[in-house]
Amino acid sequence: MSDSAIAMERTRPNIDLADHAVTLIIVCLVGLVMNTVGPAIPLADGFVGMVVIYLITMVGLLLTRFAPFYLPSVAWISLVGIVATLPWTPGSEWIVAQAKSVNFLALATPALAYAGFAIAKKEIEVAKHSGWKLALVACLVFLGTYAGSVLVAELILRLQGA
Amino acid sequence: MNALRGQLELWRLHLAVIVLGAIAELIGIQKISFGIGAILLLPLLYAFVMSAVLNPNVVPALGKFIRQKEVKAASPLIVIAIMPFIAKFGTTIGPAIETIIEAGPALLLQELGNLGTIVLAFPLAVWGLKMGREAIGATFSIAREPNLAIIADRYTLKSPEGTGVMGVYVIGTLFGTFIFAILASLFASSDLFDPRALAMACGIGSGSMMAACTGALTEVVPTMKDEILALAGASNLLTYATGLYAGLFIALPIVEKLYNATAGKNDLANASKKEA
Repeated sequence: MSDSAIAMERTRPNIDLADHAVTLIIVCLVGLVMNTVGPAIPLADGFVGMVVIYLITMVGLLLTRFAPFYLPSVAWISLVGIVATLPWTPGSEWIVAQAKSVNFLALATPALAYAGFAIAKKEIEVAKHSGWKLALVACLVFLGTYAGSVLVAELILRLQGA
Repeated sequence: MNALRGQLELWRLHLAVIVLGAIAELIGIQKISFGIGAILLLPLLYAFVMSAVLNPNVVPALGKFIRQKEVKAASPLIVIAIMPFIAKFGTTIGPAIETIIEAGPALLLQELGNLGTIVLAFPLAVWGLKMGREAIGATFSIAREPNLAIIADRYTLKSPEGTGVMGVYVIGTLFGTFIFAILASLFASSDLFDPRALAMACGIGSGSMMAACTGALTEVVPTMKDEILALAGASNLLTYATGLYAGLFIALPIVEKLYNATAGKNDLANASKKEA
């Protein structure tokens, strides 16, 4: 999403926001089903929680589009979620309480289902073509990235004595 | 309301996601215990496997309900489906701001721990498996989108470095959630580490891998759920912010120098021909 495309508000119809707003409603409804089926959170509570989550996401997208500087949408959405729930933000207690009715794993389930359906021929080809060597290296890349962070964090936490 | 019509035309895709997702949620979290620890299976993993099986590109014989049209449409939907998840994570960070600040130094410095990939994977790739310049692309990072962009920009994706980063990217896309669920389960059930450290390490700049990682952690240490989510979310946000620069200015130069100083000496002539 480039800034120039965004600046020309009316010449380029604001497909993106409207499109995202609609698609997000569908995605949130799908998430609500998961939230009700899996963690068994009462539908009414989950619904209000999901509306809150939806609004946070939309504000994040608005900022992605109209903020004076560019940040990826995921960063803006995170920041809005954080600011809305900081202890000194008015009304944050209510927002936190509502968001608690939405289970984070239940929201990840549909994302991964879409991901499974999105696997393209090319990806299968790349995976086959890469062979076992690259697969082995990939496993160590993941292990190294995770273990490296764990060790550094552990060390600092111990040094801090926290 | 073109957007709405467009999405309604994709009813097969959304319906399949609802049905498979609901089945996955009903199966719920399963724990497989063995000698040295336990592995946690999460609904998001079942959802991914089931939808992959119904994907015509994966199992052509079963790909009747979902067609290429849906496959194409599913890709941008992943990005949108992860947004509410990211928003939810944001709401766990705000209330825990004091925990985050307290853990600030660890949180910041563990980002450098991501360079652990070079320590582990680079030697294996270059000396163990005798890989060529593919090793540079494959081992400098966890190969998510920003890292793809770095390699595409510097070498193009068709170069050996590009083959390396694409390979790890695709393996991450296909198996990353499993790998992270397993890693987090094993690290957590080993009881050697502070759960806060394990949580921070979950933030590696991929929503779905963070989900698998924190999902496993919160299941092993349910009493620290709020703290785990907040720290993982904060670390993930930090990686979004710093990952590109760490890859570009630290990790990639290190890997390039290492390669050129060692294995690269032999095939320097070859490599320069290929790059030209």
